[in-house]
Amino acid sequence: MSHRGKRLNPMLFSKKPRTDEFEAAALPHMNDIYRTAVRLLGAGSGADDVVQDVYLQAWKSFSQFELGTNCRAWLFKILFHTLHHYRRKWLNVRMVKDGEDILEQTAASGPPLPEQITDEEMLAALTEVPQDFRAVVLLIDVEEFSYKDAAGILNVPIGTVMSRLSRGRRLLREQLVDLAQSYGIGRIHQGGKSA
Amino acid sequence: MNRVQFGEGACEKTRKYLDSYISNELLIETNHEVLRHVERCSACAGELETRTQLRTRLKAAVNAQSVPPELQARIREKIRAGHSSSWSTAGWFAAGWPRWPVAMAASLVICAGVWLNYPPEKMPAITDRPGQSAYIQRVSATLAAVLKVGLGDHIHCSIFRKYPKDPPSVEKMEADLGVSYKGLLPVVRAAVPDGYRVIMAHHCSYAGRSFIHLTFEKNGELLSLVVGRRKEGESPAGLAPALETSGVPVYQSAADRYQVAGFEAGDFLAYVVSDLKRKANLQIASTLAPAVREFLLKVQA
Repeated sequence: MSHRGKRLNPMLFSKKPRTDEFEAAALPHMNDIYRTAVRLLGAGSGADDVVQDVYLQAWKSFSQFELGTNCRAWLFKILFHTLHHYRRKWLNVRMVKDGEDILEQTAASGPPLPEQITDEEMLAALTEVPQDFRAVVLLIDVEEFSYKDAAGILNVPIGTVMSRLSRGRRLLREQLVDLAQSYGIGRIHQGGKSA
Repeated sequence: MNRVQFGEGACEKTRKYLDSYISNELLIETNHEVLRHVERCSACAGELETRTQLRTRLKAAVNAQSVPPELQARIREKIRAGHSSSWSTAGWFAAGWPRWPVAMAASLVICAGVWLNYPPEKMPAITDRPGQSAYIQRVSATLAAVLKVGLGDHIHCSIFRKYPKDPPSVEKMEADLGVSYKGLLPVVRAAVPDGYRVIMAHHCSYAGRSFIHLTFEKNGELLSLVVGRRKEGESPAGLAPALETSGVPVYQSAADRYQVAGFEAGDFLAYVVSDLKRKANLQIASTLAPAVREFLLKVQA
């Protein structure tokens, strides 16, 4: 079969993104991507490899990316897709179901926050929060994504983001209290006053 | 976004909305309802403080995590080499598969997966004016009217217009701004954070109003300063200021992925609009506000 007479679409080449453009748009978000991966996988659980894979996949679809749109949210969407496959393949992950009454629970006061906790203790408590809740807490509270962006990144409805966030924050608070009690930290923070 | 009227059972309602309040996801009116209640109720104020503190301390703890210094270099290397990462392919290679067909198949699978799963955010085409108007209306629907003005022009002009690959010279931009406003460019350039480059400075119009519009870019992120003359009775003063530390009250709200900060300057309203994080946008607006206000008051005089 002869290919003579066929012409390659020049757009295929003219639209090819340049490496420097990709690096300028995507690499500034690498630290946020890495830290989120570590918090979801655990230190030493291959976060480096996941982040490299995220960037490789982003690079391969960068020709579709439009300057001025949300590169950060796009990278996080790729991160969570990658993590989903990675966890399914390599890790035993606890899955959770969202309770219908979660928003109602947020009307109640949570346990008081321990006053003396270190970063390490905070991260240890976060690790105990189930992954689906932890992911939303990280996206909203640490990365400051909007509910809508977080819903797009996780491919879930906004209502699910809201319920997981409320539940996740509450679980984190309970974990901190448990942790503080196990360490014998008695002082707690109650409404801005020490008990 | 949710709007509620508090009344009976205000504590319960307030606490139900505290999480969304902390995440800046409530309508301004509902925000005010929460604030009004918290000012009167020490128990809810304590609960708000605890939840806010939890968020702050979590963010600090996560961000204290160090990132391997060599990671960025490894990513650059892989991008330029076009190799796939070790964890996803090591098992196949170790199993004795011939490398090139496996690599090719893996690349095709990855490309197909990326195409299907990560379509970039769809924006109306540059020629699709009705689609652009619908998009602007949709994303600004939850904003206070006075802030919609700045967001609308930012999206209309900075997002839906294409720029030349190389921005015009500063002299050309100053000429486009004209005698009265060319001095605004150095004022703003001196106040925006390092790394931002000006890519557009001109007069434009949107929705029947004229604006001075400066657009800056850094690593693919766009930041606009939009200035327009206020209409009679138009003022953000009914909103709660997000920051007043510079001496100029700055009002800010989020709409979709955009942050819109506005402040008054005599007969003018000025807006800083971007898709940065809330605090970053607010900080830039607060830094810009005194100098921009002083300049505009001189123009007005």
